[in-house]
Amino acid sequence: MKNKVSRRHFLQGAAALGALAPFSSVAFERDGSRKILVFSGNQAVPVLDPHWRYDWSTRMIQQSVYDGLLKYVGTPPKIVPWLAEKYEASPDGKTYTFTLVRNAKFHNGDPVDAEAVRYSFQRGLKMNAGVAWMLKDFLKPENIVAVDSHTVKFTLDRPFAPFITYVPWWYIVNPKQVMANEVDGDLGKKWMTENDAGSGPFKLRRFDATSLIHMDTVPDYWNGWPMGDAKRLSGVIYRIIRESAPRKAALQRREVDIIAGVTPDDFGQLEKLPGVKLANFPGFTSFGIKFNCQVGPTADVNVRKAIAFAFDYDAVLAIHNGLAELMTSPFPTPITGHIAVPGIPRKDLDKAKEFLKKSAYPDGGFELEYVHVQGLEDPRRIGLSLLDSLRPLNIKVNIVAQPWPTMTARAGKPETAPNMMSVYVTPVGTDPDTVAFQYHRDSWGLYYGVSHYENPAVWKLIADARGETDEKKRLEMYAEIQRAIVADQPEIFGMMANRIWGMRDYLKDFEYSPVRSTSEVDFYPMWIDA
Amino acid sequence: MLTYILRRIGLAGLMLFGLVCLTFVIANIAPSDPAALAAGPDAGRSQIEQARREYGLDRPLHEQFLRYVGDLTRLEFGRSIATGRPVGADLARYFPATLELCIVAMIIGLVLGVPLGILSALYKDGPIDHFTRIFAVTGVALPPFWFGLLLQLAFAAWLGWLPTSGRLSVFTEPADPITGLLLVDSLMQGNGGMFVEAASYMALPALVLSFPCLAQILRVNRSEMVEALRADYIVAARAHGVRPGRIVVVHALKNAMLPTLAIIGLRWGWMISSTVLVETVFDWPGTGLYAVSSAIAGDFKPVMGVTLIVGLNFMIANLLVDLMYGVLDPRLRSA
Repeated sequence: MKNKVSRRHFLQGAAALGALAPFSSVAFERDGSRKILVFSGNQAVPVLDPHWRYDWSTRMIQQSVYDGLLKYVGTPPKIVPWLAEKYEASPDGKTYTFTLVRNAKFHNGDPVDAEAVRYSFQRGLKMNAGVAWMLKDFLKPENIVAVDSHTVKFTLDRPFAPFITYVPWWYIVNPKQVMANEVDGDLGKKWMTENDAGSGPFKLRRFDATSLIHMDTVPDYWNGWPMGDAKRLSGVIYRIIRESAPRKAALQRREVDIIAGVTPDDFGQLEKLPGVKLANFPGFTSFGIKFNCQVGPTADVNVRKAIAFAFDYDAVLAIHNGLAELMTSPFPTPITGHIAVPGIPRKDLDKAKEFLKKSAYPDGGFELEYVHVQGLEDPRRIGLSLLDSLRPLNIKVNIVAQPWPTMTARAGKPETAPNMMSVYVTPVGTDPDTVAFQYHRDSWGLYYGVSHYENPAVWKLIADARGETDEKKRLEMYAEIQRAIVADQPEIFGMMANRIWGMRDYLKDFEYSPVRSTSEVDFYPMWIDA
Repeated sequence: MLTYILRRIGLAGLMLFGLVCLTFVIANIAPSDPAALAAGPDAGRSQIEQARREYGLDRPLHEQFLRYVGDLTRLEFGRSIATGRPVGADLARYFPATLELCIVAMIIGLVLGVPLGILSALYKDGPIDHFTRIFAVTGVALPPFWFGLLLQLAFAAWLGWLPTSGRLSVFTEPADPITGLLLVDSLMQGNGGMFVEAASYMALPALVLSFPCLAQILRVNRSEMVEALRADYIVAARAHGVRPGRIVVVHALKNAMLPTLAIIGLRWGWMISSTVLVETVFDWPGTGLYAVSSAIAGDFKPVMGVTLIVGLNFMIANLLVDLMYGVLDPRLRSA
């Protein structure tokens, strides 16, 4: 490769300096007969270790390099077998037995066996970071057993219905590589930050957390290539371009093949570009304005109801150029068990005034702080709309932009949490518990628990539903939970913005699955036809 | 002279310690929870508390401060909470990119600013002088962020002449760094292609960064040249029949350049700190971008590290200017 590079340097340098022709564009890179796909997003990938951290960009790379026992695909999202060819759950919902495929191997040639699965889950639980929160309250490290080389048994402390929906995010690492690189008992954390111990379809070639990550395809990937060996890519590069304008320019110039973070405003511009197509899908991330339910005027449910009925929901859609869907429940539409809750507030000023009259502030006359993430334009504009909506109720709104770490720190206590805080929440699984648990007492103080919502009956229902093994009964419980939460109005249930990517028209087999977060894509099925 | 130098160095050391105290206080009064950042977005309370212990954030503030100062004496800047990597290693990785950008920007400022200043002075109140005045005012007034986006739109998106962002093409894998300055390294490695490529990626950000500096050099050089060209010794030189070119370059410029050199010294520190905006627009992988990314994430150790590096640069530049003045004006040494 190094030999090729110097020749390429010269050609690219000459092209750049010589300004060969106005309006020239850079073609995608060829590696022999194969192509390299370049994806651009605005977010860095600070850590590659799949048991330490995740967010959309990090997980996108983690999923390329690592495999899970199961995998989420498609829309509506479904879970398909991956490293595990099948699994069985015991009738009491406490034991899960996974049978592994026999041909999977890590990038260094070691087989992916039951021991690797046991080690990986134990490592995740011991590290108590990243994905650990999903299972740590129900699964002890010693209760994961490699029955034989291709069978792993998990015994939960008590039934936990969402278990399977979290399994796809627990990636399997090669214990031999990790242990060989341990420093002072750190479970290989330092080494795993920018090295690869996976079995996924791509292997790491170059890792620069702040600018780019280059992965090569694994030619003999154990699960094969869906587009056939002849069409598979040579590799994928994740290039970080933080600002929207240069990212769009890079797509226009064909410096990159696909971009994330396309806003509704960008949509119209990109649509007109020749050779560019847009992927536009209903989102899974909910936007809500969380009230402080413990301190200040919003501790009064009638004030909360008044605000929810005064809010202009159509304005939210207009801000997103119609590329969004209003929430009809606290649960996003694709979540299992979602119901459209009857009577969920829509703009009705008379009703709003009625509720305010019932409150301790019948004539309004107070100011509320609305906090949104600094630098995000849509929540700011929604804040302006809220300000306008609450004027007829004689309620003033103070719009405050704060950095995300400051917001989350304020969320810690009811005394410091703002009256209203705009929050985007992406469920990490399709199980209703993923969303419902945000309204449980144990979520108080976390960013999605900023409401400090209190309703012991709802908390009990949420806790009971987690362990319910009768699916029908469980869904009824979640329907009741949704109705009860809407009745208590701990937040304005906002909308789910569409997820949009811009890409060159030669890019094939982009597959959308809403359970992936924000701008995350699956590179595995993609290829370039040009 | 030695006493003067030692006094100035001592003062710079004190200022640096002040900066250490200030950055530490600011980082710790900021209303955010680094432990929550370390634990990740969906982490529960037990995970946040574990992260707090792991990074020593549960220790009393004075203990944390003493440990931080102790680390600094060993040239260690602590660990990034977002990545777990040592900040010192990150600074060593990113600072050469910033340094290279600033050096090239400064060269552009000098190469364009000085001749334009001379021309403005020679054709004072003429069209060239008016043009350079507008040019200089624009240079000072244009926000680098906006100017950068404008250049990207023109030269990258519309004309397609130059790349949008980054330091090299994503397909290019640079060889192991020697100095970390790509232009220098590529020449040392005899890789002309990489030199050209690196220069093409450097062009737009360096131009944006150089613009305010260029404008200031131009204006200062112009006014100094105007003064110098009026001076008696220039009149005398003309009367002696010295060639006009020699009068301008050897006699006038030599004197006019002294304040310009002082400006360069002062501008250097400013330029290092200004890279924050330029590096963000052009995704230039230097300390500015590192600081911005870390600040947005609430990861304070990298921000504190970059602040110290920027502060150190300011102090070194000021020290050099002071020393230069000290050499030029002996009265200052006893002041």
